[in-house]
Amino acid sequence: MIPALSVKHAGKTFKRQNAEPLEALKDVNLEIKAGSIHGLLGPNGAGKSTLISLISGISVADQGSIEVFGLDVAKQTQAAKQIQGIVPQEVVVEPAFTVREVLYYFSGMYGVPAGERDARIDAVLKDLALSDKAEERARSLSGGMKRRLMIAKSIIHKPKLLILDEPTAGVDVALRQKIWELVRRLRDEGTTILFTTHYLEEAEQLCDRITLINHGRIIKDGSLKDLQQEFSKNVITFELYDREATALSGVVADGNAYHFPMTDLAKDMRTLTEHYQSNIKSIRSEAVSLEKIFLELTKD
Amino acid sequence: MLTNVFALYAREVKRFQKIWLDTVVSPLMSMVLFLAVFGIVSGDRMVGGLPYLAFVYTGLLTMTMVNASFSNPAFALVISKNLGSIIDIQLAPLPNWGIGIAYALAACTRALLTLAVALLITIWFIPIHGISHPILLLLGLVLTGLEFGMLGVCFGMYAKNFEALTFVTTFIVQPMIFLAGVFYPVASLPGIWPMVSQFNPMHHSVNLLRYATTGYADTAPMLSLGVIVSITVAVFVLMQWLTKKKLNS
Ligand SMILES: Nc1ncnc2c1ncn2[C@@H]1O[C@H](COP(=O)(O)OP(=O)(O)OP(=O)(O)O)[C@@H](O)[C@H]1O
Ligand SMILES: [Mg+2]
Repeated sequence: MIPALSVKHAGKTFKRQNAEPLEALKDVNLEIKAGSIHGLLGPNGAGKSTLISLISGISVADQGSIEVFGLDVAKQTQAAKQIQGIVPQEVVVEPAFTVREVLYYFSGMYGVPAGERDARIDAVLKDLALSDKAEERARSLSGGMKRRLMIAKSIIHKPKLLILDEPTAGVDVALRQKIWELVRRLRDEGTTILFTTHYLEEAEQLCDRITLINHGRIIKDGSLKDLQQEFSKNVITFELYDREATALSGVVADGNAYHFPMTDLAKDMRTLTEHYQSNIKSIRSEAVSLEKIFLELTKD
Repeated sequence: MLTNVFALYAREVKRFQKIWLDTVVSPLMSMVLFLAVFGIVSGDRMVGGLPYLAFVYTGLLTMTMVNASFSNPAFALVISKNLGSIIDIQLAPLPNWGIGIAYALAACTRALLTLAVALLITIWFIPIHGISHPILLLLGLVLTGLEFGMLGVCFGMYAKNFEALTFVTTFIVQPMIFLAGVFYPVASLPGIWPMVSQFNPMHHSVNLLRYATTGYADTAPMLSLGVIVSITVAVFVLMQWLTKKKLNS
């Protein structure tokens, strides 16, 4: 199957006035499977937004190639743009227009026929809890509402690949949940999603796969479970009430506690609880949070 | 593809419709002022068989149109670059030529609307009876609107800020207007200036539109038409190049 996104050896260098050129992306390789939710994580200045600008076709890569569902962004730019929806990191609104007008013209620019636009506008506004703001000036919306309007703009033409650059920054907790729901629903309906966030628990919640980027290079790529397993201490630690119980093979005593080498967290937990049952006083795995992994990998 | 480009055009038309007072009233005011002044001072003067007032009038209408079509896209683009909302047209699947054409057509629309209103209000005071070459007039109007609309797009793409735009308006556009033969026949200018005027695109618009309306021309009207068409084509090529350069870095 054609991947939703295939980035090969992409590089981007910014020329700067009064400074050395800045290599914002170096030999970036990334592939995203169609129908998945993919998280792009990295510290400030890592190159996430730069990579997104290359994929979306608003900026041109200096090296390498980028294909969106097999369409080369550099050569088939319009076709590639047509199937993408982008929420840029920076919130900008046209001061002159109402929410409905913004969506009306923007969807038109993606070729949505005039007759279909109103129905689609109503649907996306409902998805983003903005229905009662339709006739208001976009400028008069609150910060979080403006960001939701940006999301509405990005999905109104039903893109195959949806890219969200920090979609939940500045959005309150309840609405963040609502945006997650929307993202999951879109994934279930077949949309591929790439998003960046600085909320690591958000990535844990949503992502099928995660890519970590730092200093313009991809430093890790895999499913959350892969990452956790690689970075966990690979051991389950537990305590027992009855210390005379027959030991499971592989278990090592360590003072009051016991250690069991972990290969698959869920499976090993089941093995242990089935063997010791109610004899277990406490049990914990050393599975690390994404936050720990992130800090570990991005420390300089 | 056409839907996409048309939507951008419609958006830009909507933008100036929202400020229709600005769109129509300020150019109208300056026109009425000019006409009042020239009406009083000119008396019964004639220029090449044409009442002076009719001569100035056709020039002023062209000037109004050129101003409207140049400044509409130039300002719209500089504003949206400063706001960051330019990203909308960078993201959307619009062809480079389509972006410029949509802006230029919207400019042309604005200019023609302004012109229509200005005409409706002022024509009654002007000694012009009938139009000499209606088809040529229509062609000249649309070409002039497009030509200066596309020039406005070029400057809008190129200019980084309002200072640059104001500079262009004050030091390039205004002098061009005064050398365009709006207020007097270019041939009556001293020294090399009649010659210089021939290289002024605005002169050819003024000349062609005046000829199409009244039958009077300073310069051969077909030469003017040829110049306008050539410049329009050249500006189209430039516009496309600039759009690509400025929106896809
Ligand atoms: N237009 C530009 N000109 C020069 N340098 C740039 C430009 N855009 C980005 N950069 C630089 O490229 C690097 C990567 O920036 P980028 O915006 O991609 O980071 P990011 O990962 O999105 O960060 P954040 O989490 O803060 O959004 C930064 O060092 C930034 O200063
Ligand atoms: Mg960013």
